[in-house]
Amino acid sequence: MKGRFIKRTALLLCMMMVFSLLGGCASNQQTPQQGAPAAGDKIKLGFLGALTGSVANYGIPGQKGMQMAIDELNAEGGILGKQVEGIYYDNKGESSEIANITTKYITVDKVSALIGDPTTGLTKVAADIAQKNKMVIFSSGATGAGVVEIGDYVFRNTLLDTVAAPVVVDWMINDKGWQNLAVITSNNNGYSTALTPIFKQAITEQGGTIIAEDTINDGETDFSAQVTKLKNAGADALVFTGYYTEAALIMNEAQKKGLDITMVGGDGLYGQDLAKLGGTAVEEKVVFYAGFSTDQPSPETAKFLTDYRAKFNEDPDMFSAQYYDAVMIIAKAMTDANSTDPSVYKAELAKLTDYPGVSGVTTFRADREPTKSPVCLLTVKGETFPALLDKLPVEVK
Amino acid sequence: MDAFLNQTIDAYYLRIMIIIGINIILALGLNLITGVTGQLSMGHAGFMSLGAYASAILSIQLDAPFALALLGGALVAAFFGFLIGIPTLRLEGDYLAMVTIGFAEIIRVFFLNFGPGGKAVGLSGIPQNTGFTVVWLLVLVVIILNRQLLTSRVGRSFYAIRENEIAAESCGINTTRVKVLAFTVGSLLGGLGGGLYSHYMYYINPQDFGFMKSIELLNMVVLGGMGSIPGTIIGVVLLTSLPEMLRIVDEYRLLFYGALLVILMIFRPNGLLGDVRIYDIKKWWGKKGGRGT
Amino acid sequence: MFWEQLLNGLTLGSSYALIALGYTMVYGIIQLINFAHGEVYMFGAFVGLFLVTAGANIFVALLGAMAFCMLLGMLIERVAYRPLRGKSTRLSALISAIGVSIFLSTLMVLYRGPNTTRYPAVLGDSTFQLGSLQVSTLQIIILVIAALLMVVLELAIKKTRVGKAMRACSQDLEASKLMGVNVNRIISLTFATGSALAAAGGVMVGIYYNAVWPYMGTMAGLKAFAAAVLGGIGSVPGAMIGGLSLGVLEIMGIAYLSSSYKDAIAFAILILVLIIRPQGLLGQKLSKKV
Repeated sequence: MKGRFIKRTALLLCMMMVFSLLGGCASNQQTPQQGAPAAGDKIKLGFLGALTGSVANYGIPGQKGMQMAIDELNAEGGILGKQVEGIYYDNKGESSEIANITTKYITVDKVSALIGDPTTGLTKVAADIAQKNKMVIFSSGATGAGVVEIGDYVFRNTLLDTVAAPVVVDWMINDKGWQNLAVITSNNNGYSTALTPIFKQAITEQGGTIIAEDTINDGETDFSAQVTKLKNAGADALVFTGYYTEAALIMNEAQKKGLDITMVGGDGLYGQDLAKLGGTAVEEKVVFYAGFSTDQPSPETAKFLTDYRAKFNEDPDMFSAQYYDAVMIIAKAMTDANSTDPSVYKAELAKLTDYPGVSGVTTFRADREPTKSPVCLLTVKGETFPALLDKLPVEVK
Repeated sequence: MDAFLNQTIDAYYLRIMIIIGINIILALGLNLITGVTGQLSMGHAGFMSLGAYASAILSIQLDAPFALALLGGALVAAFFGFLIGIPTLRLEGDYLAMVTIGFAEIIRVFFLNFGPGGKAVGLSGIPQNTGFTVVWLLVLVVIILNRQLLTSRVGRSFYAIRENEIAAESCGINTTRVKVLAFTVGSLLGGLGGGLYSHYMYYINPQDFGFMKSIELLNMVVLGGMGSIPGTIIGVVLLTSLPEMLRIVDEYRLLFYGALLVILMIFRPNGLLGDVRIYDIKKWWGKKGGRGT
Repeated sequence: MFWEQLLNGLTLGSSYALIALGYTMVYGIIQLINFAHGEVYMFGAFVGLFLVTAGANIFVALLGAMAFCMLLGMLIERVAYRPLRGKSTRLSALISAIGVSIFLSTLMVLYRGPNTTRYPAVLGDSTFQLGSLQVSTLQIIILVIAALLMVVLELAIKKTRVGKAMRACSQDLEASKLMGVNVNRIISLTFATGSALAAAGGVMVGIYYNAVWPYMGTMAGLKAFAAAVLGGIGSVPGAMIGGLSLGVLEIMGIAYLSSSYKDAIAFAILILVLIIRPQGLLGQKLSKKV
């Protein structure tokens, strides 16, 4: 009796496996064999980013930027004479989702490159899968450490925090004379917990003092306790390393509690919603850095701005620009290499020097890390978002 | 075996099958606590994260062999399952549910502040040892052991507690011990599943194991049918593959998912295979094959 | 600083209390954790936002949001819970509730996008000194409205016929039915009342923190559920006390212990309370029926 039970359970499991196998094979027959990406007429690009969920704010503008780049490429005859097609699945900002989607792009959809993800953690998940499958992944937002180290198929075009934060801290301490600083970290936000130590190190190295440290969580709205503490600490300025939603809410609370303080942060604060949510509370009181600015744009950026506004009837942000650039840089590499095979064109990609993109001038260093110059120091001024405060040059090492 | 599968099956489908396997182990653990013993636990993701982190840290920091890492993760989770089992002596129903939610939240906050786990940045670079063969072999072992447990004396006392705790007690069942046992074994499986998960995903972070993950696992157990091993398996297969199939309607996917849960509960309130046990399928199977036992 | 933090805690706590009341009332009658309750609160906040943006007076917006959520609550009960009543376990009702919760938050995301929206500053805010304590008028207004709603609710439950019927149903559903109480109608009304209070909480949180977003209901719902359990689920004064004490606990945790462990502290205290007093602060200890 026991024997039969085990036999039947095994049989049941086998049947389930066979079922899934059939599913797998069936779809294999529809598409060309694995290992030969883009054998069809179209060059496919897979979008990585969240369209719903809490980080959709980065994915949605990114998708628009990518769509625009692809439309422009197709209008000019595509890449190497082939039309380009973007495929957009929503990864909801979850690591298990992005892992499934990345695999699906590579093995089922047979894309030629992956564009995204805007966050560091998820990029690492996707990059690991992409590297194993010899697929180029080009992140347009991962600013944290340990991304390109995953392998030679992994690229990114962002302003690195390790480059920008020290420049901004120098501006705070030496230009503004803010010596006593408070630091607030968003505790459940990987970007923030990675950026805080970079800021803290820069502050200590340049002679500043951290007099208060606190944490918040993304997704919360009540920051009254933290702001009350901050008010009693008496800092010259506040460094906040999280995202713009929480930044605006903290500043709202500060205004309510009669606390007049300037907030300095990273490019996580770059979002239209900073001005929309913060209103008068953030005006000229929040300063952040980014590689991209719609205020006083370069000629390339100016053209991008006009086109983007015409197409989507809204202003682009950093992510739209970086996704746009990512597609264009990949198109350039494919054209230069005369191939859509990731193992071939990735060599051209690594050689990229002084590429005049809409999100700044990009060069890949020998370790494939990007350098973007200059660092734009941005703020909110009246109706203008973002308003350019200063451009701080970065030396390419 | 894995190499052969990698060549013949599309990686995407292989991936989903592995995830299904891992989820079966996780859900069977929860089924033991909630489905069989009737102790509503809404914090199973907490045990999963304990197993995931403990085994990942063992692998990364101590270079422990895969089997040892998995075992370590499962034991850590089981220990905390034992701890959380103790308040169940005094609490029941929704109070217990609240304690399990609270416990899972505490674990999540702990890992958000836990240096060796990488805090909110998460832990990456976990060796990817989990493969199809390992997962499904473990699934087989877990199913068989689970079934042995449920048909044993202890297993029947699990069901007895769910049906009527006082009656069970007056029949001489040491309800205290049995409930703690259910929690310990259930969280052991949660930890095992977590270990497999982290060694498959390469990267984990505390937000992966939030409240919604616990709810997802609970959905699998209830949807398939509480207390039933085949039911749980069906629940897992459905709820893992359904979102993948609904990817075509992407934006509306969660809308469908929510509506589907409501509709299923209205028409099959006890789950698809409510309380169908392997024993029943066997009887049905035996009859069909003309070899009744 | 202590008194200022206490005031912060009470303001936060009163929003928890308003949501917790809905949980506790529904639970008292049909022993269901209405998981969609957090989403009702979110809808209340958004309806209030639409009305305010359309130019309505804030009190009109508050009442409008409460009326809308009353209907929403009754609709949810009719569609997702009533078909299950009597023929299924409490767990399947719970799953149905989770389904509704996912459905509603996705609906709002599809309609509004996932971003946080600014609530217009409808009530002029000013601060005044009370000794060394700085008090915002907005905090006072919110505390007063919350207190007022709770008093009205308490009176309604204690003094009116419907309130009496609600109390009867929570004691014994079957017996009330035999006594001629229209149980379906009472349950429906309970959902309506609870949802209206949640909507009021949503609008007030929107005004005070200037922000609403589609996922705001999940965590708030969880916290409010914790508050209801802390106070003793099923008990109306318990939900108020539970909500206020959870708010104060959280704020004090940030102020004097560690903000990184805030949620852990709140839940740890909750677990401790439950282990010492398994029925919650004001819950009644029911002897098990054989």
